[in-house]
Amino acid sequence: MGFFEKLVELFSTPEYIDSLLHGFLLTIEISFFAVLIGFILGLIIALIETGKHKWLLPLKFICRVYVTIIRGTPMALQLFIMFFVIFAIRDFPQIVTAILAFAFNSAAYTSEIIRGGILSVDAGQTEAGLALGLSNFTIFRKIVAPQAFKNIIPSLGNEIITVIKETAIVSMVGMYDLNMAAKDIGSGQNMASYVVPMFVAALFYLAVVYLISFAIKRVEKRMRRSDARA
Amino acid sequence: MQGRKFDQNIEISVRGLKKSFGENKVLNGIDFDLYDGEKVVVLGPSGSGKSTFLRCINRLEEPTSGEVFFENTLISDTNVREMRAKIGMVFQHFNLINNLTVMENLTLAPVKLKKFSEDEASKKARGLLKHIGLSAKADAYPASLSGGQKQRVAIIRALMMDPEVLLFDEPTSALDPESIGDVLDLIHEVVDKGMTTMIVTHEMNFAREIASRVVFIDHGRIIEEGEPAEFFSRPKTPRVKEFLDKVL
Ligand SMILES: Nc1ncnc2c1ncn2[C@@H]1O[C@H](COP(=O)(O)OP(=O)(O)OP(=O)(O)O)[C@@H](O)[C@H]1O
Ligand SMILES: [Mg+2]
Repeated sequence: MGFFEKLVELFSTPEYIDSLLHGFLLTIEISFFAVLIGFILGLIIALIETGKHKWLLPLKFICRVYVTIIRGTPMALQLFIMFFVIFAIRDFPQIVTAILAFAFNSAAYTSEIIRGGILSVDAGQTEAGLALGLSNFTIFRKIVAPQAFKNIIPSLGNEIITVIKETAIVSMVGMYDLNMAAKDIGSGQNMASYVVPMFVAALFYLAVVYLISFAIKRVEKRMRRSDARA
Repeated sequence: MQGRKFDQNIEISVRGLKKSFGENKVLNGIDFDLYDGEKVVVLGPSGSGKSTFLRCINRLEEPTSGEVFFENTLISDTNVREMRAKIGMVFQHFNLINNLTVMENLTLAPVKLKKFSEDEASKKARGLLKHIGLSAKADAYPASLSGGQKQRVAIIRALMMDPEVLLFDEPTSALDPESIGDVLDLIHEVVDKGMTTMIVTHEMNFAREIASRVVFIDHGRIIEEGEPAEFFSRPKTPRVKEFLDKVL
């Protein structure tokens, strides 16, 4: 049987399609919540690291250590640690463990991105706000955050894409994501050929990545309005 | 003293102001009073601490020691924002907020600080914009303005708060020669209306025209001060003589 016939077989077998969609959904669920939680944690870390109060010093140290550890160890190992050490609790939902593993990882990278974004805003912008008597909170919300965000949209987009692709390693702890679905459908009991299911899984990943790149470009374009010299 | 009336109120009072950046002692004990209605021009060589002096007044820099009073109240951590709202500042590099339109730049602080309602603020802003001939730029972003336009907007942004005192730090140093005139004209007008002003500038003719008093800073100390006629024609210290010989 050729490639094309295999393709037809895959798309005309309801169980296969079901498996693919299930796997895809899990991939999206893990990615979505991991990115969301990772962003919030990353923002908190970035705010601590760029904060000016003296009492932030010990927290800064903790954040530094955290980021260094996360960035210096393999994601797969972090996932194993979460599954087999920290959340080695019977009946604890696997998906929560996976989401947290990727969120904790993404937080470290996102915090670096956000920190860079905040530092990229010219000090004169903050000083203008201070000189007018605005509060630090207003200055951050109305002046620094929008400018920082505009500068980091492309990097944040990259981070989202990285997380989506990296979630494929949850198949290593037996979770049924898109990657695992492809392997399952291609196995001996099923299609007995990996080529087509893996090709289709690749298309799924590509489609999502493409969609996100597209959305990011749109957002970036909108945010660039204030740069217009017209 | 310098022809000042005794019944004038002191707006800003600086006592024993010192500021170091690490080992670098930039201000070495400044005592200074700014009276209501005065137009003080601050002169001094590059790096002498003029900007640092202004920035310590509204606490953009934290003084290492010494005190700053605004209308007889010590500026402290707790009241600094309130004080800043009454002390306007115009920067060398304009510092308009890039992500806000001209109108938003003008209305953000007065509305946030509940000085005016949205409507009042935008009405006032339109009036000021019209006055400087930039009504058409109300909804433009700063990136689309020329340097001179940006600085004039920055000046009226400070005026939006109805400040008691205006601080200018080299307001024309970053401008191309053609726009300097427009900005100086606007400052001149603001000053003529009676605004109490401190201005750091290298525009000597302008300084001589508007100053009611000239203060000369060298190595973080006020080494000479006086009325402009006196100061420019008969400087007392050799350091000032040397400086004026170079710049005039
Ligand atoms: N944030 C800072 N950190 C470290 N050093 C600083 C800082 N700001 C100013 N300085 C130093 O303080 C000294 C005085 O600087 P300041 O900007 O007050 O001088 P100035 O009189 O305004 O000079 P200019 O005419 O060039 O503007 C300089 O040696 C400068 O390098
Ligand atoms: Mg200066």
